[in-house]
Amino acid sequence: MELDDLKQTWQQQRPEPIKNTDIMELIHHKSYGPIAALKRAFLKQIRVMIILPILIFLVNVNDWQKALTSVLFWSYVVFCAGVVVYTWFNYRIVSRLEGMDGRVKTTLQEQIAVLETRLRRNMIGLRVVLLYFIVLLEVLPYFQHYRMLDKWHSLSPLLRFGSYAGFLLFQYFVSRRLCQLKFGSHLDYLKNLVSEMHD
Amino acid sequence: MQNREAEKAFEKSIREHEGLLHKVCRIYASTDADRQDLFQEMVIQLWKAYPKFKGESKFSTWLYRVAINTAITGLRQKKDFITSVEPENLPHNSSEDTYSKAEEERLQQLYRAIAQLNEVEKAIVMLYMEDRSYDEMEDILGISNSTLRVKMNRIKEKLRLLTKTTDHGT
Repeated sequence: MELDDLKQTWQQQRPEPIKNTDIMELIHHKSYGPIAALKRAFLKQIRVMIILPILIFLVNVNDWQKALTSVLFWSYVVFCAGVVVYTWFNYRIVSRLEGMDGRVKTTLQEQIAVLETRLRRNMIGLRVVLLYFIVLLEVLPYFQHYRMLDKWHSLSPLLRFGSYAGFLLFQYFVSRRLCQLKFGSHLDYLKNLVSEMHD
Repeated sequence: MQNREAEKAFEKSIREHEGLLHKVCRIYASTDADRQDLFQEMVIQLWKAYPKFKGESKFSTWLYRVAINTAITGLRQKKDFITSVEPENLPHNSSEDTYSKAEEERLQQLYRAIAQLNEVEKAIVMLYMEDRSYDEMEDILGISNSTLRVKMNRIKEKLRLLTKTTDHGT
């Protein structure tokens, strides 16, 4: 079959019409693309992180003075604020990818670059957060007394630090695997498309 | 009021080029539901990008960019589009078409073969069949003119083999 022989027929064809082609109605629908989904997930995360410290405070409202002078409570607040800022930053970056009007190859390359950077930063961010809470667990008893930490600190330092190291190692492998499951296949698909565009 | 006017202008421009969107849907989605979803997503993306369209390129070039970008990346997480398709799942053309039954059969055979190409090859062959110049294809896809020519020759050979296999298979 020669493609050129079919060009005219191809151009004359009128494919079976799509049921709903009401443009004015369609433009008001929600996008189901991966970028729109990612943006919705970010907004949800921001809302949760804003509500979390308020919830913690409400749970301890009977003893609100203690809650407001607790290092642990303010640590949660700092942690949540940090996550909100980081998520907002991610939201802005992902919003930039929404433009689908660039050349196809350029759009794909931009999406790959942003996804890779985001994945790398996520991994680093997660490790920083874990280290922050490990340090907090170790340092906190020097400032304030928490009953729940008494048992933990009665263990030998070797066991405690061994557990921290084991946990960090576990997190390293689990988060890599989770990232691969969540974004890896999409990233591989995008990279494959770009490689198909090279000679 | 201004927004209403923009919506009207957008609708008019899309209506004039609606056939292009239908063809992209036909190439990249297999079922009626998939085609409807893809059409909807493409219209949403076009509407989002519309304020940035300043007429630096042809409207059809801009439209193809958005449509192909959306088709190959825009719905990936929601649905897996076809890599191959059963003949009975292929959409048919409108009965008012002027060409013969034999030509229609050849076109169906071509669509079956195209369904087995990868996503990038599908875009190239679609633009080629629409008689877009290599310069315009380069502007849409971002693949250099010379690479496109090489790829097109390979695709032609691939389609020749695929349609030959179908001929023997039926």
